[in-house]
Amino acid sequence: MKKFVLFIVLQTFWLHDIAAQNGEADFLRSMGKIYSVVVVIAIIFTGIFIFLFRLDRKLTKLENHIKNE
Amino acid sequence: MGLKGWWWKISGVVIFLYVIIGGMIIPTRAGVTKSEPGSARSGDSVTMVIKAYNTHFLSAGQNRAWLKLDSLHAVKAHLLNAKTENDIQISFNIPEQFPASEKVQPLTLIIDNEIDGAFVQPNALFVTLSDSSIVDKSLWVNAGMNAFNKAKGIKFPYRNILNETIRNTFFHVALWFAMFILLIIGLYHAIQYLRTGNFDHDIQSASYNRIAIMYGVLGLITGSIWAKFTWNTFWTTDVKLNMTAVAMLIYLAYLVLRGSSSDHDKRAKISASYSIFAFLALIPLVFVIPRLTDSLHPGNGGNPALGGEDLDNTLRLFFYPSIIALILLGTWMAVLLIRYERLKEKIFMRN
Repeated sequence: MKKFVLFIVLQTFWLHDIAAQNGEADFLRSMGKIYSVVVVIAIIFTGIFIFLFRLDRKLTKLENHIKNE
Repeated sequence: MGLKGWWWKISGVVIFLYVIIGGMIIPTRAGVTKSEPGSARSGDSVTMVIKAYNTHFLSAGQNRAWLKLDSLHAVKAHLLNAKTENDIQISFNIPEQFPASEKVQPLTLIIDNEIDGAFVQPNALFVTLSDSSIVDKSLWVNAGMNAFNKAKGIKFPYRNILNETIRNTFFHVALWFAMFILLIIGLYHAIQYLRTGNFDHDIQSASYNRIAIMYGVLGLITGSIWAKFTWNTFWTTDVKLNMTAVAMLIYLAYLVLRGSSSDHDKRAKISASYSIFAFLALIPLVFVIPRLTDSLHPGNGGNPALGGEDLDNTLRLFFYPSIIALILLGTWMAVLLIRYERLKEKIFMRN
């Protein structure tokens, strides 16, 4: 799953480079680069989600520990 | 569950929503993205082909334009031909004589209409004088340059190259400010731990530092993404970027340090001392060294970002609330970590 996501992300940037070399305004650079701001917001939320995910796992571990006592 | 302990968490979420919604829907002001030709000779009749952004050349009742030499001297366009809302052709008759005697004169283009207000393109046209020995001001008058329109409604400033990504001020820049505040809270608890030896301060210090480091890493990633679409590279050897990366590495070592020791007391003491050191290293790395040199980074190049033309009042309307929201959300996340650690501590003490 992780590798798949990484592949998709890298693939996107690679396609962007090709588009930029051809002088086309690609999607993320269109409309005054507004979509790169959207990507930035998405990254912040991804960070918060990763935090939640890790805290969830930690709590599950603690719950299992209490259960096994 | 009373509302007592919840008000700051809810206000954090509400303020952050305000920043995202308001920060995304307010448009930027009009600006020139491209103007051709870039140079001319004195006495020429020049037709400049302008590509602009967020303009309403067709809908506007009257477009006006000037080429400005300084605050007193300008020439007015004699013909404006709007092709689309964002494309216009402007013709100027550039006089043979100039009021100043330098060989090459940079002229600033000013366009004005009642919808977009007045906007400028500095150094739009460089004029080479055919005979710079004669100084004549007669054709250079301040032709109607006093009655500028104001853009309607709240709008963010237009900056070339930045364009819409000026909104990253609310997200990328605010992340760093919030990180700094959270690190200060972490530092306070580290000092308190060393003074009192109360283990709870160690838990608090580590949790705040952890969230601050998360903010810092997010700040680096968001900056990197922005750079990809602005500078066309994820990373440059810019002083500001490299020094910030060094500061983040120092803090990442803090996490490694905390994870490496199983002796609670030793770990708490070492990591508290280390976090004081790391904070003291952060200040010159992030605040001093980048200001001593020039930098590509917006808001830099000798000057701090807070103040002057870099931070418009309309940006402040969202920038400051964003910092507050990120601090509140960060504190919330840190408090969750603290509660988890306390619980864990209690359970392991019981066994």
